[in-house]
Amino acid sequence: MTAVVELQGVTRSFGKGHTEVVALQPIDLDVGAGEFVAIMGPSGSGKTTLLSLVGGLDRPTGGRVVVVGTDVGALDGRGLALLRRRTVGYVFQDLNLLPGLTAIENVSLPLELDGRPLRQARAAAAEVLAAVGLADFADRFPDDLSGGEQQRVAIARALVGDRKILLADEPTGALDSITGESVMRLLRRHCDDGGTVILVTHDAAHAAWADRVVFLRDGRIVDETRASGRAA
Amino acid sequence: MSFRYGLLALLSEAPRHGYQLKTDFEDRTGGSWAINIGQVYTTLQRLERDGLVEEADSDGDRHDYRITAAGREQLTDWFAAPVVPEGPPRDELTIKVLLAVAANDVDVTDILQRQRTASIEQLQAYTRRKAQAHPEKDMAFLLMLDALIFRTEAEIRWLDASEARIRHLARTKEGDNR
Repeated sequence: MTAVVELQGVTRSFGKGHTEVVALQPIDLDVGAGEFVAIMGPSGSGKTTLLSLVGGLDRPTGGRVVVVGTDVGALDGRGLALLRRRTVGYVFQDLNLLPGLTAIENVSLPLELDGRPLRQARAAAAEVLAAVGLADFADRFPDDLSGGEQQRVAIARALVGDRKILLADEPTGALDSITGESVMRLLRRHCDDGGTVILVTHDAAHAAWADRVVFLRDGRIVDETRASGRAA
Repeated sequence: MSFRYGLLALLSEAPRHGYQLKTDFEDRTGGSWAINIGQVYTTLQRLERDGLVEEADSDGDRHDYRITAAGREQLTDWFAAPVVPEGPPRDELTIKVLLAVAANDVDVTDILQRQRTASIEQLQAYTRRKAQAHPEKDMAFLLMLDALIFRTEAEIRWLDASEARIRHLARTKEGDNR
């Protein structure tokens, strides 16, 4: 399996001297193409910090974060923007959908920012919306969608433009269990189709959809599930 | 739980013979409870003795059974009564953690983590089966998997809560010693 995300001795600390807070101890982690990895741990264990480093939203204090062969820490602002528009999609805990834009406008925005012609961007967005089961909701505004539907729009926005790596931070926080499950099925399908997902969650039932669960505590990996009987 | 209510529930829909009762019960319960045919017949005999089922018109040497009015009444009572858990938990995991907390040279956090990993692996196995199940055809199986998943999830939440309590106590002690 080719690693598409590699963390090599990655550390992250905030502050200096005696007020220094170490969020991540040296971390080594490889995630392969087609792999679904869940990261679990108590609050303050460094889960979200780790995800932000992979997504290029934050830079490591030490070590290297390599995403599809590119050292994320060495990218400038423009490079990071390109990484986020073309390679890595991010689903935030609070979704961050723009309330003034319809579902399809939200989803096509990353492509428009990337300079794609409007018509092309909209066509691609419609396709991804259909893939997440929202073909009929394209012209609705986020406020007119249920929590589960908003979640799907956020996932569609993270995947549009054929981005293969999806990073999700507690994406099912406020959803009931059946709706949460349908979101997990979407993530599972993305990986079964060759994509990669890194999911940060405290919910064991959601983590169980992953091929591998990594446990973080006090900024270090303390254990992980054995790679067993992955649904091929 | 007694298997007799399983038989009463099936017979309340339609008369059935012994082997039918065995296979239908196993289907209904999502394959979670295998019954041997001898058990079916001894239970039927007891139900008949108590006047809760009776033999229906026999077709050759195959005996069909049907539920009686008294049987129906008992089944209704059983469905209506909530299930009350019996006594305090005595499962091995709970006891192991309680003893580990009291023991001096045992790393409880380590025990909790090993258990958490094993429980999540179990949860992954259930989830893989769920992912492959058919939402309509395998309804009973899905409901059973949900039950197993929620139970395992509860166990993991208990592990998390136990660890949080132990860490909190350790910090308080550290503070006292300063």
